[in-house]
Amino acid sequence: MPRGFHKQIRWPAATIAIVVSLACSLRAQTPQVPPVPENHAGHVPVISGGFAYIHNVNGGVTTLLPQINPILLVPFGSHVLLESRTDFTGFFQRENQTSGPFKGKVFKTVDFAQIDWLANSHAILSVGKYLLPFGLYNERLVPVWIRNLQDSPITAAIGTRTSGAGDGIMLRGLVLQRSAYSIQYSSYFSARSGVNQLEAARTAGGDSSIYLTRLRLEAGVSYQRFLQQRNINSVATYISWQPRTVPLDLKAEGDFNYNGRGYWTEAAYRLQQLPIPALARNIQLVTRMQQFFPLHGGGNSLPTVDTHRIDFGLNYYIRDDIRFVSSYGRSFSERGNANVWNVGVTYRFLFPLFPARKK
Amino acid sequence: MKPRSLVQVLFLFFITATATAIFSYGQQQDQSKVPASQKPQTPKTGEQVFNNNCSRCHTPPMAISPRITGTIVMHMRTRARLSRQDEKLLLQYLAP
Repeated sequence: MPRGFHKQIRWPAATIAIVVSLACSLRAQTPQVPPVPENHAGHVPVISGGFAYIHNVNGGVTTLLPQINPILLVPFGSHVLLESRTDFTGFFQRENQTSGPFKGKVFKTVDFAQIDWLANSHAILSVGKYLLPFGLYNERLVPVWIRNLQDSPITAAIGTRTSGAGDGIMLRGLVLQRSAYSIQYSSYFSARSGVNQLEAARTAGGDSSIYLTRLRLEAGVSYQRFLQQRNINSVATYISWQPRTVPLDLKAEGDFNYNGRGYWTEAAYRLQQLPIPALARNIQLVTRMQQFFPLHGGGNSLPTVDTHRIDFGLNYYIRDDIRFVSSYGRSFSERGNANVWNVGVTYRFLFPLFPARKK
Repeated sequence: MKPRSLVQVLFLFFITATATAIFSYGQQQDQSKVPASQKPQTPKTGEQVFNNNCSRCHTPPMAISPRITGTIVMHMRTRARLSRQDEKLLLQYLAP
């Protein structure tokens, strides 16, 4: 066991202990709620996920990105769930970048493979490889069929080293819930791992957010301490707002760590309420602005010079699960400006693992 | 166009979008200006849980087979940190 290991895990262990105690005490305070009528929901194993084909042109270099990300969900009763997502992404470029035949390979990555124990409203325990709950992007917006723009924000590398996932234990749930608001938390400790497909860094951290139910506004903060080599603190603050009366999706996040600081804001608007032909109401307009300023030379998957970028997107929803996506972005930095184009299609699938028995 | 101009354009769009949302929310509030004390206290429904949480990312109503609804809601309860009571209401709403 490495020197100083106990010292390093002391505070995350204490944090988890406090959170567990809090969860247990809150459970005792949970008000009695009226019983809910029975339902006919089944707990059959499920294959879900997304498929996408993206044609990307970045600074004149074309990349073809076919990808599929199946998620396996296997419930054991109504309190234990095994869930795993594997990402298969093809990466094909021309042999000489701008000329020659397309060549490349398919990368396979296990994004997460975890067992969840849904103990109660205040405590959901996850063990295994889990996505790091840092900021808005890593856990919520990575799936290709959810994200409004296909390119990740520049600051997505903050708080998600080294693989975007942790190996270990995560505790999450509700701190408290009222009719007007709810407060959620996540806390985790990840061990260092170099095992193939289970790569992770030794980190500890957490996330907490308050969600205002009537406004549909969420504000939160994430913290992570990187516990190997140089110990680095990473912090993110974010807001996410989806107004009830307007089909608008507003998100903003600010990130900070030893290697740099930056922010991104994103607004997406669907034209479904406008007095325009029905076909045009399926259009979604998106814009994102972001800036990043390196500290201590940047690095660790972050730019080493000041970088600004804006993106404009236009998505067309054929159905809720199929859409055409397109976007144009321009990146500004001392290393040179570049245009980034994305055109493609995304599809979300969802079906039971076993067919229904014939009656 | 210079970066600063583009930033200004984008910032204006963001502000306009936010103002539109605030204005429409205010209109909705004006239409239902009844003191909270006079409003009947109705228990939360599965549809409300869906509208408050799930519909932030998913379009209602979702066509999910009842056979897999329990599994999907377990998955989303883990992701969205929903309460046990909200899970039950959602199941009642999606697979009555």
